[in-house]
Amino acid sequence: MAALVRISSVCHRGVSPLLFRSSSLIRPLAVQKKDRDCPYSISAKIHATPSNYAGSGSKAASLHWTGERILSIVLLGLAPVAYYYPGPAVDYTLAAALTLHGHWGLGQVLTDYVHGDFKIKMANAGLFLLSTVTFAGLCYFNYHDVGICKAVALLWSK
Amino acid sequence: MALLLRTVARQGLCSSRLQFGVLYRHAVPMGTTAKEEMNKFWTKNTRLNRPVSPHVSIYKWSVPMMMSISHRGTGVALSSGISAFALAALVLPESYPYYLDLIHSMSFGPQFLAFSKFALAFPVAYHTFNGIRHLIWDLGKGFRIPEVYRSGYIVIALTVVTSIGLAAM
Repeated sequence: MAALVRISSVCHRGVSPLLFRSSSLIRPLAVQKKDRDCPYSISAKIHATPSNYAGSGSKAASLHWTGERILSIVLLGLAPVAYYYPGPAVDYTLAAALTLHGHWGLGQVLTDYVHGDFKIKMANAGLFLLSTVTFAGLCYFNYHDVGICKAVALLWSK
Repeated sequence: MALLLRTVARQGLCSSRLQFGVLYRHAVPMGTTAKEEMNKFWTKNTRLNRPVSPHVSIYKWSVPMMMSISHRGTGVALSSGISAFALAALVLPESYPYYLDLIHSMSFGPQFLAFSKFALAFPVAYHTFNGIRHLIWDLGKGFRIPEVYRSGYIVIALTVVTSIGLAAM
């Protein structure tokens, strides 16, 4: 995502219109006409999904990306809160945020390195299982044991 | 990445004479998603049994490259550690203070304790500070090469100082 935004800094030759001009990109009929008129034309097939594009694309990937960043910021804010206000509320919030951040992070690692429909499915299933067990274990620890904040405090006190 | 190559190639093809306005008048949104395109690439190339060109094995390593893979490495390591901890919490019979006292009764030196605190704090600090660097990139800032190196060195410095500080606590 960041790479797309930064393309304009790499190619200083007006690539931004290519990326951000929405209406001019969605003209299939006009394109066919132009192809006949202009012999030097090249059909530039690009992935252009501006926000008003009512095509087959869904916003799932984009929303997922945004959710990842928001969660990262939440986790960042949780650290001082955990230090100054330890307790069950922070413990469970920390368990949820850490597990989800790790789940999404490992998901990106799998997306990068695992290829092939079946392998991707298996890897994601395994990851889901791991994250579920992780969250269950952390909640168990918060409930039956000292809790995450106290655990860190105890570990550091010695 | 493919998008970058295609647009750069196109710029090279029709550089001087054409107004760049012509370039995107013929742009057609593709019927496939980026994910589908990636899958097509991988299935075709694995089917043809094509070898992957050497990349990480031949390219000269740079600080940004090393920091990037370290961000991933610390992330995976920390995640695994948390999962291992959670699994242990579910499986082990005794409570956390019991096992903590058990470790302390093994009377390792204070240096060992300080070192293990440092070893725990270091990946957390690095991943946190580099994570902030990533979030700044996501805002679109700091992509110029000197800025990338500068922010990288700041992250390394902050990591070391924070880890030492936390280990000393």
